[in-house]
Amino acid sequence: MFGNKNTQKGGMSIIIVGCGKVGSALVERLSGEGHNITIIDKDEAKIQAVTNMYDVMGVNGNGASYSVQVDAGIDTADLFIAVTDSDELNLLCCTVAKREGKCVTIARVHTPEYSKEAAFLKDKLGLEMIINPEYEAAKVMSRTLSLPMAEEVSSFAHGQVEMIKIRIPEGNKLDGLKVMDLGRDVTSNVVICAVEREGEVFIPSGMFILRGGDLISFVATRKDARGFLSKIGFKSEAIKDTLIVGGGKDSYYLADLLSRAGVQVSIIERDVAKCEALSVLLPKAVIINDDGTNEEVLKEAGLETTQAFIPLTGIDEENIILSMYAKQVSDAKVITRIARNNFRSIVNNLDLGSVIFPKYIVSEAIVAYVRARKNSMDCNIETLYHIFGSRAEAIEFIVENETAVTGKKLSELKLKNNLRIAYIRRHNNIIFPGGNDEIKVGDAVMVVTTHTGFKDIQDILQ
Amino acid sequence: MNSSMVRIIIAHIMKIEAVFLLLPCIVALIYGEKEGFAYLAVAAGSAIGGWILGFKKAEDKTLFLKEGCVTTALSWIVMSTIGALPFYITGEIPSYIDSCFETVSGFTTTGSSILNDIESLSHASLFWRSGTHWIGGMGVLVFLLSIVSLSGGSTINLMKAESPGPSVGKLVPKIKASARYLYLIYTAMTFIETMLLIFGGCPVFDSITLAFGTAGTGGFAIRGDSVASYSVYVQWVITVFMILFGVNFNVYYFILMRHIKDALKVEEVKYYLLVILSSVIIIFINVRNMFDHAGDAIRHTAFTVASIITTTGFATVDFDTWNTTCKIIIVMLMFIGACAGSTGGGIKVSRFVIIAKTIKKEINSYIHPRSIKKIIYDGKPAEHVMIRSVNVYMATYILIMTVSILLVSFEGEDLVTTVTSVITCFNNIGPGLNKLGPTCNFSFLSGFTKLVLMFDMLAGRLELFPLVMLFHPRMLKELVIGKKRR
Repeated sequence: MFGNKNTQKGGMSIIIVGCGKVGSALVERLSGEGHNITIIDKDEAKIQAVTNMYDVMGVNGNGASYSVQVDAGIDTADLFIAVTDSDELNLLCCTVAKREGKCVTIARVHTPEYSKEAAFLKDKLGLEMIINPEYEAAKVMSRTLSLPMAEEVSSFAHGQVEMIKIRIPEGNKLDGLKVMDLGRDVTSNVVICAVEREGEVFIPSGMFILRGGDLISFVATRKDARGFLSKIGFKSEAIKDTLIVGGGKDSYYLADLLSRAGVQVSIIERDVAKCEALSVLLPKAVIINDDGTNEEVLKEAGLETTQAFIPLTGIDEENIILSMYAKQVSDAKVITRIARNNFRSIVNNLDLGSVIFPKYIVSEAIVAYVRARKNSMDCNIETLYHIFGSRAEAIEFIVENETAVTGKKLSELKLKNNLRIAYIRRHNNIIFPGGNDEIKVGDAVMVVTTHTGFKDIQDILQ
Repeated sequence: MNSSMVRIIIAHIMKIEAVFLLLPCIVALIYGEKEGFAYLAVAAGSAIGGWILGFKKAEDKTLFLKEGCVTTALSWIVMSTIGALPFYITGEIPSYIDSCFETVSGFTTTGSSILNDIESLSHASLFWRSGTHWIGGMGVLVFLLSIVSLSGGSTINLMKAESPGPSVGKLVPKIKASARYLYLIYTAMTFIETMLLIFGGCPVFDSITLAFGTAGTGGFAIRGDSVASYSVYVQWVITVFMILFGVNFNVYYFILMRHIKDALKVEEVKYYLLVILSSVIIIFINVRNMFDHAGDAIRHTAFTVASIITTTGFATVDFDTWNTTCKIIIVMLMFIGACAGSTGGGIKVSRFVIIAKTIKKEINSYIHPRSIKKIIYDGKPAEHVMIRSVNVYMATYILIMTVSILLVSFEGEDLVTTVTSVITCFNNIGPGLNKLGPTCNFSFLSGFTKLVLMFDMLAGRLELFPLVMLFHPRMLKELVIGKKRR
């Protein structure tokens, strides 16, 4: 009689220290999943802003202080996440929490010195998880650069399968093609899981007709993906050189990853001290001490000829402008990092190349961890990705027990709308399933859907 | 202004009121009274109205503070106008303005009555009258939040607008769970009081209605002499429970969670009990000679002090006959009121504590002009925003009170009657002094004065700003015409 009751009962008790960009992204995601969340921050105004927006409780104070943690209910908390800007504080928060409560602790550690010792810290301090937003973002960016014509590349099943997002050019082979005819006309072993058209995300059925301008996400094995891309006329050469503006932590991580992969990296950074530090850390890279927002400097550094351009200054607006400029003067692959996330609709409409949101990358990792932890009995979430700016999810489940979905032909299961089973992984073989395939115990199943909050493989049923 | 969300919530409120209106029907069934049909009809009307109003779903579900305030104020007005209908339809209160006055007085837990002969009312109406106190005590929007999952966390703005006190927080992370705890404590305490009254030999119907009146700190009784003719035991039970319902409900939550230390840390409650104790002592010394036994004197004194400071308004004795010192103390207690986060009205003890500390700090700053000292409240430094809001609240409070007194003065009554009529309504107490003493009622006042007093009762219950916001020209415009969005 009084409206729908759609919040799930009995969420976990979660304490989040720090309401910055990552903290509030976590609050947004986790409160939407029905958990009991308490936030701790030193800044009363930040707490006010978050508690006015989301159904969470705020505690004002230092998250590492024992009494503040008690106020926030550490004795009954299931999960403790410290994501303040200071690594030391995060580690201290988690250490105190670990001594006092029986909770699982997650700390954000992002300075390069510590992150090299992440495994040691995790082990010695008894933390369950260490997250490093800058490093995670760098990993995503370097993966994207390995397949430059794709907008986004994510890997699943320990790298066996890739999910690749591309934009279909007008007049391409795929323009006007029915999804079900893909196997006949182009290639099999590729599953199109999601399509974005005019700002809306669809999970296409067999009857769906692709059009030029659509953004599509498909899954395939690494080899098949490259074969498919060359068949539809996309070049698939890896990038040889990259120009990065800004010498922050994420630039360092990215440059490090790229150098190791043999890419020539140039970094433009305004601050001399930072340049010197980087030149020691990254001996192979070219470090240029100048203002990277200056047109002449960019030209001199070779913007017009570089194969990839990634602005990573501390200001989103500056990055956006730089990306737009790069798109105008060069053919380079451009990646734009958006740290804050205001005005997303505008960002989506601009031609900024591949856009990545580091705070979502981190919150995904934590959300997947939380979901898996909550339902560790039946099925496990192996990985979870948000695609199309978190408007759709790609989830890999491990099927550990007999359930309603196992042992039946897929065509007999009543699946939800807007949902697609992308692949089944059985004994390290990847199966792109048809109607006659079955899900068996021990399989890993990847599901792509626009529904949110899936926790169990059985959620795919209507 | 998100007027579709305002509409949806008011629709919910109408449905909830329909459910509550069924309770007097049951009472009418038990006592075989035909008045039950009036309640049934209004319940049906309210449910259908709510269903129609809530038919079209809202697209945008965010509620900002302004929507929270406007929704709260409108809900209370809608609730009162619907709740008044049964009195009018049954003919028990012939004038609709009077019916509204009685209902507003009920929902705002004031307890000022316009009825000359309470005992002639049907059981159904007596039950509804007391029931309005119970509903209004903890607040109907809090009740709504406890049963409905309105998506988004912005619903905290509804709770902020309805719950009394300078700062409104949640007990637990989820608003729905917080609201549930509040109602759980509230219902359990009401139940315990009812049981204690029944065990003391009080009739069941009387016990329930008295418990409703006490729980909401309302003050409607079902006898003409209020609580005077009940036994000594009943009066003591009510005294204790009035004081208990005037305590900040956070304390009960802490006790329930076995956080006794936190419960003891709530500063306001200490001062609240201190004020009660000292008032009882002073009045007792003054009225000792008016009673034969010291026991009677202490009972009547304690009852009156508890009744006034918690803004309940029950009476066992006509305190209008006491001496001036006693009456002045009673008027002072009217202003102080109960604790924030309780069901009581008034300015609230916490605000006075903060003001007292501000004054102390200000005086110190004259002695050491460059000294810096933060005000500590409940063991924590008080935010400047809270102190400012307390000061502004006081200023607005005085302004509204003064204007109301001026408007009521057109009535042509004497000074004490005029002033106390506004004080008692604004602070949600019930009886005033002189012509509006505990043995009198408000029926002789003109319709205009009643409207002014109804405004005061609502403003007092909703802590001024939600109601004042509603009459802000821009809010009215946005609500009626709505703002164009693309």
